[in-house]
Amino acid sequence: MGRRKKIVQECETLMDAPDQIRNIAIAAHVDHGKTTLTDNLLAGAGMISDETAGEQLAMDTEEDEQERGITIDAANVSMTHEYEDENHLINLIDTPGHVDFGGDVTRAMRAVDGALVVVDAVEGAMPQTETVLRQALREGVKPALFINKVDRLISELQEGPEEMQQRLQSVIADVNDLIRGMTEDMDDVGDWTVSIQDGTVGMGSALYKWGISFPSMQRTGMDFGDIIELERADKRQELHERTPLSDVVLDMVCEHFPDPLGAQPRRIPRVWRGDAESDLATDMRDVDPDGEVVLMVTDIGVDPHAGEIAAGRVFSGTIEKGQELYVSGTVGTNRVQSVGIYMGGEREEVDRVPAGNIAAVTGLKDAIAGSTVSSVEMTPFESIEHISEPVITKSVEAKNMDDLPKLIETLRQVSKEDPTIRIEINEDTGEHLISGQGELHLEVITQRIERNQGIPVITGEPIVVYREAPTSESREVEGISPNRHNRFYMSLEPLDDEIVEQLQLGEATMDMPELERREALMDAGLDKDTAQNVEHIHGTNILVDDTKGIQHLNETMELVIEGLEEALNDGPLAAEPVRGALLRLHDARLHEDAIHRGPAQVIPATRDAVHTALMDAGVRLLEPIQDVRIDVPNEHMGAASGEIQGRRGRVDDMYQEGDLMVVEGIAPVDEMIGFSSDIRSATEGRASWNTENAGFRVMADNLQPETITRIRERKGMKTELPEQIDYF
Amino acid sequence: MLSFVGLGLWDERSVTVEGREILRNADRVFAEFYTSRLMGTDAASLAAHHGVEIEVRDRAGVEQNPDPVLAAAEDGHAVFLTAGDTMISTTHVDLRLRAHERDIDTRVVHGTTASAAAASLTGLQNYRFGKATTLPFPYAHGGEGVPASVSDAIDTNRDRGLHTLVYLDIKQTRAEYMRADMAAGLLVDGYEDALGVAVCRAGSPDPRVEADRLSALAEGSFGDPLHLLVIPGDLHHVEADALRTLAGAPDDITEPR
Repeated sequence: MGRRKKIVQECETLMDAPDQIRNIAIAAHVDHGKTTLTDNLLAGAGMISDETAGEQLAMDTEEDEQERGITIDAANVSMTHEYEDENHLINLIDTPGHVDFGGDVTRAMRAVDGALVVVDAVEGAMPQTETVLRQALREGVKPALFINKVDRLISELQEGPEEMQQRLQSVIADVNDLIRGMTEDMDDVGDWTVSIQDGTVGMGSALYKWGISFPSMQRTGMDFGDIIELERADKRQELHERTPLSDVVLDMVCEHFPDPLGAQPRRIPRVWRGDAESDLATDMRDVDPDGEVVLMVTDIGVDPHAGEIAAGRVFSGTIEKGQELYVSGTVGTNRVQSVGIYMGGEREEVDRVPAGNIAAVTGLKDAIAGSTVSSVEMTPFESIEHISEPVITKSVEAKNMDDLPKLIETLRQVSKEDPTIRIEINEDTGEHLISGQGELHLEVITQRIERNQGIPVITGEPIVVYREAPTSESREVEGISPNRHNRFYMSLEPLDDEIVEQLQLGEATMDMPELERREALMDAGLDKDTAQNVEHIHGTNILVDDTKGIQHLNETMELVIEGLEEALNDGPLAAEPVRGALLRLHDARLHEDAIHRGPAQVIPATRDAVHTALMDAGVRLLEPIQDVRIDVPNEHMGAASGEIQGRRGRVDDMYQEGDLMVVEGIAPVDEMIGFSSDIRSATEGRASWNTENAGFRVMADNLQPETITRIRERKGMKTELPEQIDYF
Repeated sequence: MLSFVGLGLWDERSVTVEGREILRNADRVFAEFYTSRLMGTDAASLAAHHGVEIEVRDRAGVEQNPDPVLAAAEDGHAVFLTAGDTMISTTHVDLRLRAHERDIDTRVVHGTTASAAAASLTGLQNYRFGKATTLPFPYAHGGEGVPASVSDAIDTNRDRGLHTLVYLDIKQTRAEYMRADMAAGLLVDGYEDALGVAVCRAGSPDPRVEADRLSALAEGSFGDPLHLLVIPGDLHHVEADALRTLAGAPDDITEPR
């Protein structure tokens, strides 16, 4: 029997013992060494050969990942590890660190109970470290810390034991500050800070495959002094053999991360808003393998033979072939074709996967990343995509018209796999738009279309996605239907930033029970009467129904909402999405007969009312901005800060860190297109930098008309702005 | 001058003699066929028959951009044609009001209409009809099943013993016409054993009228459109006789109450 086969068998045995299961994610700032660490763990578990770990990057299964040297998709793998004479099943997800792929990280966190946060000992906690920590803690996932690249402290920076300890302590302190700040308001967790003494911090070198922690020091008798000696003497192989990284980390995982039985009772109320008293809630809290099947899909992959594979966490019940399961947001059921677990990049079919595990399921044709799949119809899990909004768009066309149907199918597939990608398909022009988190995000997607599907495509220049937002209150405006028999009276006010943020985070949605939604909105600062009358939430906009007892309005409301959504998706200035508008419907006059207040009448009437109100409320264009951080040698600092300032940016801070200068600031995304090559040439390639989307900012008034006209031209709209017509 | 002329129910010969004379003598002739249409003819045959040019306007061309019609009425005598009567069951009173806003004289030449045919073909007395309603295609009204306003109208009428005339949705641009069996099918939920009368191709040489339980009508097949449906209230004894004799109603559900 092959080694691999044996592991699969071990995994199958362990699947039924939830107390011996750990579901974990590895997450970090880009380039801090997650994937190399993961390879070490795989090698330790005998899944890949020891020699190639660190070079093989087994988790980076896509060709472009191995080329770029970064992880793009979250990848799943299962392995076994013996700890304190008990075998453990470890289901692990490696997540991308590059900021453009944040959606993958968020989804991965839903599936796991523990997050191993990897930080580079030299660079310390970086912006993306903060982001992944926040993503983990928001999901109720417990963190532990691994400080990587400690070999560089010894060999490159020639640090002694004391300097080294100081540096490690300061990394730990920084991470703990972040954890403390983020868990302050979480009453369902205790102290989640990490410490060497508790054993929740590991240190080492993923590249040279050695690691150390407080418990491992006690076990192996190796302390920092021994490590420094061996590392300096270049005896890294001996180091690896005496205190292998995989043992240190996997022991830490088994000891300090919760098993599903411990995690689910805490996590379920955090991620699921259904009835806490129901049997279903009990099934999930108890990780009951005999309960109803509940699977949260966190990833959709494509296998050339098996087709679409939905991977996710089984919260209750047992998934088996042939089951008919409901998929949230769709009608009817899907039949499970096969179930399996992941081993490295490959899937191994098994007979069944019980609660508490991560499963790979085929046959769920309606599922997308984020779907709730279950054996009974149920309240879906909290949406997990609201943290990132797309900021950049690119057009994609097939070079050969014959490829068009295949391209459309591929684009639909892409948006199923990665819901942070938005696809707009225009069957008329054949020019399709894909929107995502950044230049790299879109570049990777288009390359995959070309390479994996063999469809040659022409892509347009990247285009920034703007927003439109009101700046003041509007008067009451009137929207009249084309047949003039229906009238709607509305006014608009800008929502407070606090409420917009809460809506963006999905803290208040229409999926929630009414009472909970009302409380969430009131917590965010909406007054009670308004919160009570909320009729609809669309993006970060709210419709409030302030009418009383209007006949037929009930059955017309669906159409009002449809018109409202159209108007908000394509704002009046440049048909960009509207953000932060509170619309109040004050009155409506409707035709007696349903046919004369149908879609052709009500949709244009509400659309007009919303746009008129927006114009009256001083609607302005907002542009996405990014936080920029550049690490650069002193002599290039001027050039680096110049690159920010020259892009309508603002430098907020400059300070020394180690032998490098750090420049921090913000700049509009639009101006940041092409930044990577410019900064490289400006600093002779000596700078490293990081950008992170930082929301939206009102554009300067003098830039507004020009930008609006440019967008309108591009979209083939009339270039003159809608007049501020007097509608009163 | 703007004259509204109803074309009646079936083909080019359904218009009144007066209507015919007015449309033949007009300077410009406009028409809309999105609210209803003449199933026995089309715009081109209609124009050829009367020897005039007919400018057909779509919904936007009437509701959002009525200017050409009104301008023609300012310059000379314009005629606006619809199937049936121009002012019943349609929303063209709005166009007439717009004309008056511009000091244009208007007049209405009646055509016979579905609501008249419903009473005259079924034998149900026009005195005993309550509020009429339109049953939209389920995809067209933004909700599921039957809109509350439709069942409200039927319920209120039935409570008072009155008949309900149910117009059936027309999607002219998609050439979709709801038929009586589909309408009965939509209404079966809630009115299963209620009596219904299918009135099909009113105004044509071979109209068909059939009365039965809605559940039975839902299984029926009544041929080409246009159809409408009547949900009778309490029956006067002559009405019951008429439904049995003229519409094949089963005896057991037409006993006068």
